[in-house]
Amino acid sequence: MAEISTIARPYASALFNLAKEKKCLDEWSKMLDLLSNIVLDPQAKTFISDSKILDSEREKVILELCKGKIDQNIENFIKLLIENKRLLVLPDIAKFYQELKDEDEGVVEAQIIVAEKPTQKIVDDLIKSLEKRFNKKIEGKVEINKSILGGTKIIVGDTVIDASVRGQLDNLAYKLKA
Amino acid sequence: MQLSTSEISELIKNRIKDFSSSSEARTQGTVVSVTDGIVRIHGLSNVMSGEMIEFPGNTFGLALNLERDSVGAVVLGDYEHITEGDTCKCTGKILEVPVGPELLGRVVDALGMPIDGKGPIKTKLTDKIEKVAPGVIDRQSVSQPVQTGLKSVDSMVPIGRGQRELIIGDRQTGKTAVAVDAIINQKGQDMKCVYVAIGQKASTIMNVVKKLEENGAMEYTTVVSASASDSAALQFLAPYAGCTMGEFYRDRGEDALIVYDDLTKQAIAYRQISLLLRRPPGREAYPGDVFYIHSRLLERAARVNAEYVDKFTKGKVKGKTGSLTALPVIETAAGDVSAFVPTNVISITDGQIFLESDLFNAGIRPAINAGISVSRVGGAAQTKVIKKLGGGVRLALAQYRELAAFAQFASDLDEATRKQLDRGRMFTELMKQAQYAPLTVSNMAVTLLTANNGYFDDVPTEKVLAFEGALHGFMSSKYKKVMDDIESSLELSEDNEKKVVKAIEDFKATSTY
Repeated sequence: MAEISTIARPYASALFNLAKEKKCLDEWSKMLDLLSNIVLDPQAKTFISDSKILDSEREKVILELCKGKIDQNIENFIKLLIENKRLLVLPDIAKFYQELKDEDEGVVEAQIIVAEKPTQKIVDDLIKSLEKRFNKKIEGKVEINKSILGGTKIIVGDTVIDASVRGQLDNLAYKLKA
Repeated sequence: MQLSTSEISELIKNRIKDFSSSSEARTQGTVVSVTDGIVRIHGLSNVMSGEMIEFPGNTFGLALNLERDSVGAVVLGDYEHITEGDTCKCTGKILEVPVGPELLGRVVDALGMPIDGKGPIKTKLTDKIEKVAPGVIDRQSVSQPVQTGLKSVDSMVPIGRGQRELIIGDRQTGKTAVAVDAIINQKGQDMKCVYVAIGQKASTIMNVVKKLEENGAMEYTTVVSASASDSAALQFLAPYAGCTMGEFYRDRGEDALIVYDDLTKQAIAYRQISLLLRRPPGREAYPGDVFYIHSRLLERAARVNAEYVDKFTKGKVKGKTGSLTALPVIETAAGDVSAFVPTNVISITDGQIFLESDLFNAGIRPAINAGISVSRVGGAAQTKVIKKLGGGVRLALAQYRELAAFAQFASDLDEATRKQLDRGRMFTELMKQAQYAPLTVSNMAVTLLTANNGYFDDVPTEKVLAFEGALHGFMSSKYKKVMDDIESSLELSEDNEKKVVKAIEDFKATSTY
């Protein structure tokens, strides 16, 4: 939600700045992924939002769950989140953190949606032209979706390049109705 | 009306032929919440303020709030099918509505789509609904009259082409009646009309349309309807849409009249949108820019000069000025003109026609309060004949009001006072006029001349209107030439004045009423 992203941003940027100082961007990214997976679990969700459970217990359980997989700073971070009752915002913080990291590294993730499995060469060519257009390093992620019928649909951040048959048919339908 | 098969397939063929199949790059976002027609969207990083946003199911929205983490948009129309997680796209376009003479005689919604069941409207052009008003250089002062056909308005608060004259009053004081009469009287005056109904009952709108049709006024009128059941977004947009339709004529060197009935409801709709968008509320819970929504709308009603028209039409129309006259309507609560929206609109407009329920209930209809109704620029545009004859009306009524208050306590009055009171009573009676019965300039001139010369003085007050009606009938049958002369010249020459006076004497001597 919009409000949640407003809450998540300061946490994410604090984490990111600290990680950059300590030069452990990748490690923390993995730890945050792990933590957000824990938080996203339905059982964990009820546990976190249960008001009968004390914060100290919550802290103990979560730290126990990821023992050995997180370092001291992230542990402190979790304690802070529990204290502020913001544990459920963790997935959004992880997402923002990832965005900040990608931006810092000049990498953007591109979702390439196609109807049929493309050859590696096509994907490489596509990524190359996308890199030229966005002037950034592109990390391609191919997704096969029969419903677009043909062509490709590329999603880079907010921008969508729709060259799919489905998109064109929708456009035609709209033009005919207008 | 039915479309022939060939027509349809031809249409489709052309559209398919023109359809470019190139890929498109657009910014997209995700719906995070839908509440009462307000959608919050995450993403849409390149969206412009006021841009149209496309939602699934051919629904469009208007981006109003651009915040750091989200975009607040208002959905135009139904929003039940939009759910959290839906993707939406930027269109890169500002909202447009169809414009052109094809819209005359039709009833459309706030987006210009027909709702009168008379089939599609084949307009060739569309135009943006939000435009900047003509600047200082493009304008010309108001100098031509808009005849409303109402004795009280045309003689006391004259309206000029390009003027903004507010019609203000409580509920049930005949505000719509004044506006509709003004539209009906534009027949043959080379004036296109737009009636924008905002937040009214659909049945009321239907009655207005029916009355316009009965009086042959729909030929030159477009009705834009955003009824009470339409979404607040459409009620907010309807005046701008109507204004764009009216500007089409103004910019092409023609004259147009637009009625916004009423702007109080528009402000209420805007307040709803603003509060749902969580903009901070101000006085009476209206947002801070409620003045601006009305000022930017009414500023677009203007008289533009010939150079502007020439430039706009790229030399196709030369030497003609264009105008858009606005008659905004404001409803007050218990006569309180110092409420927020009424004061705002009073200060924006070039004068107001003030209607009072006390007068209305006393049978004085139109219930115009002559004391506080003013027209700040209309005097320059008033027809010469009415200006010459109508000057006394205002004064007589003002003196009458003053005296009437004192006379209540006095038992016997001197001759001069009694005469003045009688005269005031006569003028009050004379300013009454039935609905849908606008008067021509010549008839109005005859009435005023009769009153000014004291020919009404020996007529009993309750017979004044009957006398007037009979006199008009007498004039048009026996003195048609003089009447036509006044009508075409809009002036009263000394010669004609003598003829009319003689005619009145003739009428008094021979006729019954």
